[in-house]
Amino acid sequence: MGLARYTLWRVVQAVPVLIGIITITFFLANQIPGDPVQTMLGPNPGQEQVEAIQARYGLDRPIHERYLSYLSGVAAGNLGLSIYYDRPVLEMIMLRLPVTLLLMLSAFAFAIATAIPLGIISAKRRNKPADHVSRIVSLIGVSTPSFWIGLVLIIVFAFYLGWFPARGLVLPWADPADVRGAETQFQVIRTAAHHLFLPMIALGTLQMAQITRIERSAMVDSLQGEYVKLARAYGVPESTIVRKHAFQVAQLPVITIIGLGLSTALGGAVLTETVFEIQGMGRLIITAINNQDYELIMGTTFMFGVAYVVGVIITDIAYAYIDPRVTYGDET
Amino acid sequence: MSTPHGGDPDTEPTQDSTTTAASGAGEVKSRVGLRYTLSQVKRDTTALIGIYIVGFITLVALFAAIDYYIFDYAIAEAIMYDPERDPDEVNRLLPPVGMENQFGSGVLEHPLGTDHRGRDIFTRLVYGTRVAMTVGFMATAIGLVGGTLVGAVSGFYGGWIDDVLQRFTETIYAIPFLVLVIAFMTAFGRNLTFAMIGVGITAIPVFNRLIRSRVVSIREEDYIEAARAAGVKDRHIILRHIIPNSFAPVLVQATLQVGVSILIVAGLSFLGFGAQPPTPSWGQMLSQSRGYMLPAPTFSIWPGLAILFTVIGFNILGDGLQDALDPRINN
Repeated sequence: MGLARYTLWRVVQAVPVLIGIITITFFLANQIPGDPVQTMLGPNPGQEQVEAIQARYGLDRPIHERYLSYLSGVAAGNLGLSIYYDRPVLEMIMLRLPVTLLLMLSAFAFAIATAIPLGIISAKRRNKPADHVSRIVSLIGVSTPSFWIGLVLIIVFAFYLGWFPARGLVLPWADPADVRGAETQFQVIRTAAHHLFLPMIALGTLQMAQITRIERSAMVDSLQGEYVKLARAYGVPESTIVRKHAFQVAQLPVITIIGLGLSTALGGAVLTETVFEIQGMGRLIITAINNQDYELIMGTTFMFGVAYVVGVIITDIAYAYIDPRVTYGDET
Repeated sequence: MSTPHGGDPDTEPTQDSTTTAASGAGEVKSRVGLRYTLSQVKRDTTALIGIYIVGFITLVALFAAIDYYIFDYAIAEAIMYDPERDPDEVNRLLPPVGMENQFGSGVLEHPLGTDHRGRDIFTRLVYGTRVAMTVGFMATAIGLVGGTLVGAVSGFYGGWIDDVLQRFTETIYAIPFLVLVIAFMTAFGRNLTFAMIGVGITAIPVFNRLIRSRVVSIREEDYIEAARAAGVKDRHIILRHIIPNSFAPVLVQATLQVGVSILIVAGLSFLGFGAQPPTPSWGQMLSQSRGYMLPAPTFSIWPGLAILFTVIGFNILGDGLQDALDPRINN
């Protein structure tokens, strides 16, 4: 059955939500007190200058007209002009988005790689010391602000131990000529990993904790399932049961929680980027707000929404792909 | 985390003498209401620890609020230090003093050290509870009321009302919380009131989803149909039957949501939204400490621990309540 058709259906379903996001951000941005023209030209600009700027950014037209033209602009891939950077908004986003995506992906990779084994061990050794440790770790993880984890990591691993850099991020695909101390692409990748490590943990800890909690309870449920009892009755070794029978089913709620965690993680990226002084989408939206750059605020907020919606679609597809009720027929 | 009450689920219903059958629902309503909740929570160690932590923080916050609103920090000055004003009134930046420096000199006037303006960190932490708890509770209340209304109406009526409301909450949910609140506060005002409202709005989809799914399942129950057939008004059915029936999961979610809200507002204050200086707030203290991480690392540690302690309290309480109120859990 068509995974492609399902994907297409989910994308179509996302369109009204995207229009909704544009609408909300547009009206919020227009609610912002203060005058962007004044921000640009100073307190006493000449009338001609003001009109020229207003015409250039379309600020002289009524709000409904601006809304409709913004909507059609977005549909055509035009997010307007950034007043502060004096460049197209889309260009700025394309410059910053890879940084945030890299941060997000590595954080989730770290979270999944640590949480799944932790959750399984917890579930298998329920109410034993290993389980208690893992539950306390995950409880602390869901209760700690990500930016504070970042600060503590910087103090310990950057300032005291000097193992990792305290700020900035290097993209692994950057040109070696642009990266200090790197001559080959391999060295660039190593520098990138070095820079990425602390922010990845800061941003990923909350997700790790949440996934561990879900993984544990899902595995506990799954290990009590009828099919597991049957497998045990047939004398299937416990490790095979965990690996083959219980594991896959238990991943469904995990995927759901990853989807739900996207929103928190994207917000967390704003904070992590601030702590580690990383020039990504998070810093972009803060810069836009601090400079009353309407179109950049709208564009970045919209892009955060798009990132979330795309993430949810991917998790939905992963769900449909893993769900045994869909794939069971393909197996032996 | 939990040591649930350990009761055998099969024997549960017979214990429920606290049936609140006032609305004619009969034994279906037995797991509803404050008295039942309390009786369950008392038997759950985890929930009790959560109650103690949350209770303690709430008392501290109440003390801070009373001193702030009524006495203008007179109590603080009498027994500790003024949490807002610089001690020497010169507004100059001082090197923050960590507690290790104090141990060296043998003086322990400031148990946790002083910040970059010479203010006592401990006092500011104590008074920071006011902001955290106010925003945590108010935002949750806004989300709870808004989400319950939207969810109940949406689930009860279904049809196009349901579609419109659900698309709307989905849209709110699609913008990452922090980004949405920042955009909201930029538009309406960078102060605590709008922080509360903004964080509250982000909680609406959470409660909406919870209530709506309950309503959809309860709607078809016999006693609701009976009420309808007897000519009871829709509004009355929603308020008297459906919402009280969702008490347990909503209570659990609300408890967890207070913790989430405190985390979000700490993040907002860290970014310069939320409480404005000199009002003491934990997120803002962390933001100020960033410039002094090398000379005074403990300045960055304490406010984070305060947040951690508070949020853990709500999370333990939420988990404990869930275990205590969910008769199916037996592990």
